[in-house]
Amino acid sequence: MKILIIIPAYNEEQNIEKVINNLIQNYIQYDYIIINDGSKDRTGQLCRKNGYNLLDLPINLGLSGGMQAGFKYAYEQEYDYVIQFDGDGQHQPQYIKQMLKEMEKKHADIVIGSRFINEKKPKNLRMLGSNLISLIIKITTGKKIADPTSGMRLFNKKMIQKFACMMNYGPEPDTISYLLKCGAKVEEVQVEMKEREAGESYLNLKRSIQYMLHMCMSIIFIQCFRDKEELI
Amino acid sequence: MTTILRIVLIIVCFLTCYYALYKIRKSQMQIEDSIFWILFSIILVIISIIPDIAYFLANLLGIGSPVNFVFLAMIFIMIFKIFSMSIKISQLEYKIRNLVQQIAIKNHELESEKLENKNEKI
Repeated sequence: MKILIIIPAYNEEQNIEKVINNLIQNYIQYDYIIINDGSKDRTGQLCRKNGYNLLDLPINLGLSGGMQAGFKYAYEQEYDYVIQFDGDGQHQPQYIKQMLKEMEKKHADIVIGSRFINEKKPKNLRMLGSNLISLIIKITTGKKIADPTSGMRLFNKKMIQKFACMMNYGPEPDTISYLLKCGAKVEEVQVEMKEREAGESYLNLKRSIQYMLHMCMSIIFIQCFRDKEELI
Repeated sequence: MTTILRIVLIIVCFLTCYYALYKIRKSQMQIEDSIFWILFSIILVIISIIPDIAYFLANLLGIGSPVNFVFLAMIFIMIFKIFSMSIKISQLEYKIRNLVQQIAIKNHELESEKLENKNEKI
């Protein structure tokens, strides 16, 4: 069973070493690859200096483009499972095992590392957005996803092929809603996440509004008209 | 606004939406790029169904006829769209130039490595 952790990193020079050293020292059973998405800081040099497994994108493609590069790598190297894992130290690798267990137990296609299965959502603007996306996914697909915007997700082989090769398969909630409609099985596992330790978050106010508009339009309207892919 | 114009606007909007969605189905367009066209059509449909909005806004701006307001608004939105596309195109050109240069440098590195290996064998 080959498992690949894909770590998209954009300007993460302050966090990346800590995250990767933890993976190398304590979790050698998982392979990893860093996607340096055209960082403007020293992320790329640091990775090369330490001899990390690195895909260095010469220009910035954004999260979905970077993740797709990782999926293509996983597809060509014939990995069985792919884990999307942030390079900023928010995600904790000890939960990967539970997510894998859940996937095998329920034969799921996607397992989301969710912050809010047992815990309540804090009330702030960001969680309002998360709630709204949860609600429209529930209305359009009938499935409750507690933490649709979580960036920690596990994909099986079938999904790797789709995400690697197809257009409009960004690793975002709208793709999850589309896949749910195609009959994919999506499960969630309770995980804990840390606050970002250093560096800046990619989401500012303008980007957040754009993101919400995009997600809402896409989930409510556009995904209803897409052809249903057959998932075999 | 005459009824005929309103009907024509609605039909054109539906065609625009249909075409954008068709392109998404065929995987020839990214969802991000279609959102502008779909929002644009929805707003035009709303104005065609409730022309009072156009009357109100035309009055506000001191434009005699609401049709003129609709045209003016469309021209403004189009100019804005063209402007943002022009920015996007120059960024794309810059990125392509960057990529070509990087590929050329990588190829050069690879070839000089090969040459070195050959020389060592000899």
